[in-house]
Amino acid sequence: MKVEERTGSVGQGEAFDPILLAVIANRFDAIVREMTNTLFRSGRSAVLNMARDFSCGILTSHDQLLATAEGLQVHLLGTGLQTPYMRKFHPDMAEGDAFLHNDPYLGNTHTADHTVLVPIFIDGEHMFTASAKAHQADCGNSQATTYMAHAIDIYEEGGLNFPCVRVQRGYEDVGDIIRMCRMRIRVPDMWYGDYLAALGAGRIAERRVKELCEKYGRDLIERFIVEWLDYSERRADHAIRQLPSGRLIGHSAHDPLPMVTEGIPVKVIVDVDSAKGRIEVDLTENPDCVPAGVNLSEATARSAAMIGVFNCLDPSVPRNAGSFRRVDVKLRENCVVGIPRFPHSCSTATTNLSERVINATQSAFALIGEGWGLAEGGGACGVGYAVVSGTDFRRGGAPFVNEIINGNNGGPATPWCDGWITFSMPDGAFVTYIDSVEVSEQKYPIQFDSIRLLTDTGGPGRFRGAPAGEIVIGPKRDPIAVFYFADFAQNAAKGVWGGEPGSLARIVKVERDGTETPRPAIGDTTLVLGEWIKGAEAGGGGYGDPLQRDPEKVRSDVLEKWVSMEAARDIYGVVLSGSGEAMSVSGPETAELRKRLVDNRVNGMDKGGRDGHQKGR
Amino acid sequence: MRYRITCDVGGTFTDAVVADEHGNLHLGKSLTTPERLYHGLESAVAVAATEIGLDVRTLLQSTDLFVYSTTQATNAILEGRTARTALLVTEGFPDILVRREGGRLDPFNFAKENPEPYVPRRLTFEIPERVDSEGLIYTPLDEERVRQILATLRELQVEAIAVSFLWAIVNPVHELAVARLIEEALPDVPYTLSHQINPIIREYRRTSSAAIDASLKPLMQHHLRDIDEGLSNAGFGGELVAATSFGGVMHMDDLTRRPIYAVKSGPSLAPVAGKTYAEGEAGHGRVIVCDTGGTSFDVSLVRDGRVVFTRETWLGEQFMGHLTGLSSVDARSIGAGGGSIAWIDPGGLLRVGPRSAGADPGPACYGRGGTLCTVTDAAVVLGYLDPDYFLGGRMKLDADAARRVVGEIANKLDQPPLTTAYGILAVANELMVGAIKEITVDEGVDPRDSFLVAGGGAAGMNIIPIARELGCRQVLIPRTASALSACGGQYSDIVAEFSASKFTDSRDFDYAGVNAALRALDSRMEDFAAGLRKRNFTTFRKEYFVEARYVNQAWELELLMKSDQVVGPDDVASIVADFHTSHQRVFAITDPGQTVECVYWKGRLTAVLDKPPLRKRAGPTNGEARHLRSAYFPATGEEPIEVHMGAALAAGAVVHGPAVIEEPTTTIVVYPDSAVRVTELGNYLVEVE
Repeated sequence: MKVEERTGSVGQGEAFDPILLAVIANRFDAIVREMTNTLFRSGRSAVLNMARDFSCGILTSHDQLLATAEGLQVHLLGTGLQTPYMRKFHPDMAEGDAFLHNDPYLGNTHTADHTVLVPIFIDGEHMFTASAKAHQADCGNSQATTYMAHAIDIYEEGGLNFPCVRVQRGYEDVGDIIRMCRMRIRVPDMWYGDYLAALGAGRIAERRVKELCEKYGRDLIERFIVEWLDYSERRADHAIRQLPSGRLIGHSAHDPLPMVTEGIPVKVIVDVDSAKGRIEVDLTENPDCVPAGVNLSEATARSAAMIGVFNCLDPSVPRNAGSFRRVDVKLRENCVVGIPRFPHSCSTATTNLSERVINATQSAFALIGEGWGLAEGGGACGVGYAVVSGTDFRRGGAPFVNEIINGNNGGPATPWCDGWITFSMPDGAFVTYIDSVEVSEQKYPIQFDSIRLLTDTGGPGRFRGAPAGEIVIGPKRDPIAVFYFADFAQNAAKGVWGGEPGSLARIVKVERDGTETPRPAIGDTTLVLGEWIKGAEAGGGGYGDPLQRDPEKVRSDVLEKWVSMEAARDIYGVVLSGSGEAMSVSGPETAELRKRLVDNRVNGMDKGGRDGHQKGR
Repeated sequence: MRYRITCDVGGTFTDAVVADEHGNLHLGKSLTTPERLYHGLESAVAVAATEIGLDVRTLLQSTDLFVYSTTQATNAILEGRTARTALLVTEGFPDILVRREGGRLDPFNFAKENPEPYVPRRLTFEIPERVDSEGLIYTPLDEERVRQILATLRELQVEAIAVSFLWAIVNPVHELAVARLIEEALPDVPYTLSHQINPIIREYRRTSSAAIDASLKPLMQHHLRDIDEGLSNAGFGGELVAATSFGGVMHMDDLTRRPIYAVKSGPSLAPVAGKTYAEGEAGHGRVIVCDTGGTSFDVSLVRDGRVVFTRETWLGEQFMGHLTGLSSVDARSIGAGGGSIAWIDPGGLLRVGPRSAGADPGPACYGRGGTLCTVTDAAVVLGYLDPDYFLGGRMKLDADAARRVVGEIANKLDQPPLTTAYGILAVANELMVGAIKEITVDEGVDPRDSFLVAGGGAAGMNIIPIARELGCRQVLIPRTASALSACGGQYSDIVAEFSASKFTDSRDFDYAGVNAALRALDSRMEDFAAGLRKRNFTTFRKEYFVEARYVNQAWELELLMKSDQVVGPDDVASIVADFHTSHQRVFAITDPGQTVECVYWKGRLTAVLDKPPLRKRAGPTNGEARHLRSAYFPATGEEPIEVHMGAALAAGAVVHGPAVIEEPTTTIVVYPDSAVRVTELGNYLVEVE
């Protein structure tokens, strides 16, 4: 097959039927959704069959990402880095093969994401690759967690590493690989079931893509690939031309770690070239790799920068190798947000610093002016995203381990609306699901005490950041270990244009007598019966001056307990009278109070909104 | 002669279809009467009765089965007319409806507003109680606190209450206790308990089911009881069943107790009719079925001869609306129909819908006080509808009023009235094309491969330009188009489903427990069948299903069982083997040797009905065959065109556009450069060039 790597826009020759272009493009998305459904419904661990912490995609044989549907952003936008190793390591690649790839130095996200790659052959020739990347309940790390934020290198991380190895040949498992996993992974049956689910997703895609090529003919599908990627590039080109040219610099910082006590600053330089329809994101002016598990892999560094950019473009631009041609991400070798140098650990690459790069990028776009860019989104992986392990007395003491996905980080406020409550976090914004408490308690011997969204945690603004959630869990009977890795406990998600930061992440242990002991936000705790761990994720940043928020929205926020009466008065300058649903905005008093608050600012030192950014509280 | 009646009450029109023992179908159509829906229903039945030569009472007395379906529940939710509902939840978990299950489409779009929960936080109350996953009482119910909260609900003038506690499916004792307290404190306020309405694990879905169900109770209970009473008073003594969202039926009393099952029930029958017609005409298994009513335009699909279902029914957009927690026919709805209101937006653009004039006041041309311009008014101005032959002449349309309201829009746009009227239709067409694309192109289905069946009273008005835009080459407008959903009821069997939750696994199979659950299902099916047997329904089919999964999976696959009991290891082995096979087919892999868990058991009772045969068209009638009427098309301008009376057309006749074909309850506009052929079965087949 010849797919030319074209950078031009309009294709040559006869025009491709535009309806057919849409039909086939959506057909590929529908295949990816069927893969997704397969993995979701047949997966074994809760992180897959409830939270959907996995992503499916279809790539061309030339490593061009073609279709992604609703996968996790951080899993997908850097895809295309992994598939070359199938050809490189396996020149005898054949139909019926599948490859297991989780190596963060060879294009994977992090060790805990097992990617199953299924090459799809049409008429005996490799034409597509189906990719199913799934976060594992356990990956054989030295501790019972898939996020080793404190690991000084990959040896201390300790997980099994599969540098694109063949796991199926002739549609049969390669027993050696399966046995390696079964011997080392803490929950072997769970792992094997999840591996089968990912493999099934790939095989479903193989079946459907073959049917599609059969129906339309291989030549037409080849033309489609060129046309669709070119079309997507034209869309990106057009979207970028809507932005003014210029350099935008965004900053963020990861909280301090025991081995990096000063924290990790992140600087993102975005150059928009409107006339050429191109954007460059430069991540090279950042620190070298650190002796901790937070280094980004190349895939996540690239993805994070791309997510920040695409969050600020017309959302209807397709996300594939075509539109990606218009965004250049400059990375540096041995950089904490770049290309990791072996053996630095990338254990938390999909979350912690990824969230920081995304936030710095999307808030940099706000520098264009009010009405552009986004505030920062909450991105803590505290108790709501903890990896919990132990033994289950209900199943004869069988070991269990799983990441619970039940946190609520507040979504960023935007130029158009308040932040999203089920935002999750920037790297997989909106798309991950939330666990069911009932299913979690049935599958794992843990007890949920409460999950509630907290008042006054969303960053105030003309548009408000979404609130943070708080979760309290404990053991059902026997002790459990809880590992969390929450950034955002010291550096909040910032607001822009006078919008204020969201609340900070927080973790406390609730002792048997009810007293609360603060815990470092990155670490682990073992709980015995009667003890609980309680954690809040981070609120989202606000957009615009809270004194400009529609007072009726503030009234509704108070009724719904998103905002307290005090905050309504002191931060939003809204005077409410009456109570319950009879509560109403006192117009004149509100106007007067708001004027007074503005005057106080001029006299005081608060210059929020002047430079479009506000420091964290 | 005995009869079977199916009736669909829509937002604008009420349709009745009466089938006699020979399979003759008689249609009745009437305006929906929102002040008392029974009136419209009786009027529609009366129209059909007159055609048969009976009065309503005699017809109803001679009717064995009445199948009722309605869009009332759906419309009430979409229009926010449901009851003011409070939600009682387990203490510590107040945000179940706010947090939902996460997930969203379009993840790079930051301009979407966070959806509001079905019940706001201010009407959600935490109850001190907790049952754990093993069904043990972890925190006892604080009854005193419940009483205080119920007193607050009285002050807040709450009209319905949903109760949804964690693990009520395993141990419902606290939900039941709260029910008792509600009956004491607020005897007039209807309530729904989550474990009764939808006994599934997953608190969001169950809570959402309970909240939606409770919110519908005041309205739907009143409505359904009224229909029941109205029919009884009018002499009906047969079986009264109501259509449900899953394409089956329930006894009316059961639906009254659980009105959530009425949500999306109307659109669930249209594809049944569409499929029957498409098979009859073309042997076609790929069908797009659209139904243009007065208020909404519904699209559903038939693939490989099967109606497409969705396991997850959303009210509104997926992830943005509310999950009913039940499966249903996958029907997409938009607010565009004959009654949709045309308006000019602040930017000066012509818009149509989603607001509808409904039946009352209805379009301006109905002469019932409507002053806003609708799609129907535009069709009158264009000459597509005959003011003197609407609903077969039973309703006169006020053409002057139509011209007046279209004229107002035309003035604002500074365009001639005819161009404006055509523009209104063109905007409506675009919306409908968009809805069809959503369920086809957006899902990777090429509409050009499909057979399009167009139903609904207003279908014939614009289906030809819609088909042309989509590239559909064959479009069928059934003679009974105007009552597509009600006709679907005539072509469905009576299906009632019952389910039970009984967990066991293949390693240590609980024969006694499972067989007891299956016997209980069987007796519920027998109870249902008994009523029908009395009405001379003789052919029944009982099927048993198990929903199973591998250990640690969270979602089940449904398997048809080979018998009604699980007797020994061979039966279990057979279930396990079927599960592996099914898993291979659906998910492309199996895990041989792995334990299989059996979670839910289901019984499906089907009363097989003799379907009215698709009858060949009777010979053309005498009487007026055609006349001329002035109509406007952009290609031809305003000029006299031929108006054919449908009854006078013989099978095989071809009508070339521009022309109009009049049927008593529908009008087909044959656009220039298209032709319509009358099929052997008396339907209208459009061949689009």
